[in-house]
Amino acid sequence: MPSTGASPEDPGALVARIARGDREAFSRLYDAYAGPAFGLIRRVLRDPEASKDVLQEVFWQVWREAARYDPGRASPEAWILMRAKSRAIDRLRSMRRRDRTFVTAVDDSVARAAETGDDPPALVADRGLVERGLDRLPDAQRRVIELAFFEGLTQSEIAARLGEPLGTVKTRARLGLERLRSLLGGGRPSTT
Amino acid sequence: MNHQELRDLAAMYALGGLDGEERARFEALLRSGDPDATAALSEFEGDLLTLARDTAEAPPPSVKAELMARIAAEARHDAPSAEAPAIRRRRVLWPAVWAAVMAAGIAAVAVGVLVSASYETRLAALARESTALRADIERQQQIIALLRDPATEMVALSGLEPSPSARARMIWNSQAGGLLVAAGLPPTPEGKTYQLWAIAGKNAPVPAGVFAVDATGKGSLRVPPLGGMGKVDVFAVTLEPAGGLPAPSGQMYLAGKS
Repeated sequence: MPSTGASPEDPGALVARIARGDREAFSRLYDAYAGPAFGLIRRVLRDPEASKDVLQEVFWQVWREAARYDPGRASPEAWILMRAKSRAIDRLRSMRRRDRTFVTAVDDSVARAAETGDDPPALVADRGLVERGLDRLPDAQRRVIELAFFEGLTQSEIAARLGEPLGTVKTRARLGLERLRSLLGGGRPSTT
Repeated sequence: MNHQELRDLAAMYALGGLDGEERARFEALLRSGDPDATAALSEFEGDLLTLARDTAEAPPPSVKAELMARIAAEARHDAPSAEAPAIRRRRVLWPAVWAAVMAAGIAAVAVGVLVSASYETRLAALARESTALRADIERQQQIIALLRDPATEMVALSGLEPSPSARARMIWNSQAGGLLVAAGLPPTPEGKTYQLWAIAGKNAPVPAGVFAVDATGKGSLRVPPLGGMGKVDVFAVTLEPAGGLPAPSGQMYLAGKS
């Protein structure tokens, strides 16, 4: 990776400029990553108002904490998206504490039963962009990834919820991620 | 620990689900700079970034507008300290100080206005949240009551020609009404709405409500009891002009027999 001659769109350079109070750089960084960040948050929270709040909170922290960004630890993309995910899960937990997601859970389990009831393979078609890649995973692998990544459950909680041994849960998570990589044509290095 | 076990731990760690003793063990490996653990973790984190890119969704423009306004307000309050030049001279120019104090006063008022506006936004958001919460709880209680009633039946609706992958469940109770939960429907086109119909025997379909679906193709509809209607044999969903019609005119997307 060449470290010199960074273009103005180099995300690392944008973060460095943001750390110096450059609003234009912030605007560009936002445009680059707000989409995936919002998609992640929406997957976790579903509620559009809460998702907007969390997105704003995440990018506000990006603005405030850009000076503390350590390029050695994560790419700017990973730094932003993982923050988006964990803030969304924090919010989900506080909403859950207020019993709120029970409704979503009832609705979802019914909708999910409808989705996976009769002939799952047919469902892959035509679901729009939002769930494309994940939906192509075998059900058992998809569930583990969703519960851990989008709902913030630990492996023990997942094992209890699904009534499966812990080892099975872990292996499914790994197989699922590996499968996802080949499905989404990933395999890109995670850091720049 | 063999290679596969290490990769299992790394995958679960990347997902955020590793707990207990295994988490401690994996973090110790990372701290010690174990090359296999580090490589496996960054590999799976890369997969999750790919997943995030795959689920991208354009946020409403208001979020960026509010952020930029907030940043502008902050900048007026305290200019970024990193850019402030180092003070070289000891001599202070008093008129400049007074001007700065005045400017700071004006800025403080501006910030005050903006801050109070932002609190109002926040309060409005909280009010919205609590209204939504109350509505949710009410809905939840209705659903539970419905599910507890032995007379409640569950009707599966399958997707037809325009959207074969669509699915829905109708939780139906002729005394209490019911709830339709649909998934996999195409987004509702402009000026259109999905409409639910209840059909008994050879009688004309009875309109049972209209609904829209979200970006993921999911939608739900509370259905009131359909007075005067005995046993429903078929539930069906068609696409109709916004507001719905007294009799179906559009294509049928979902149907199921009870």
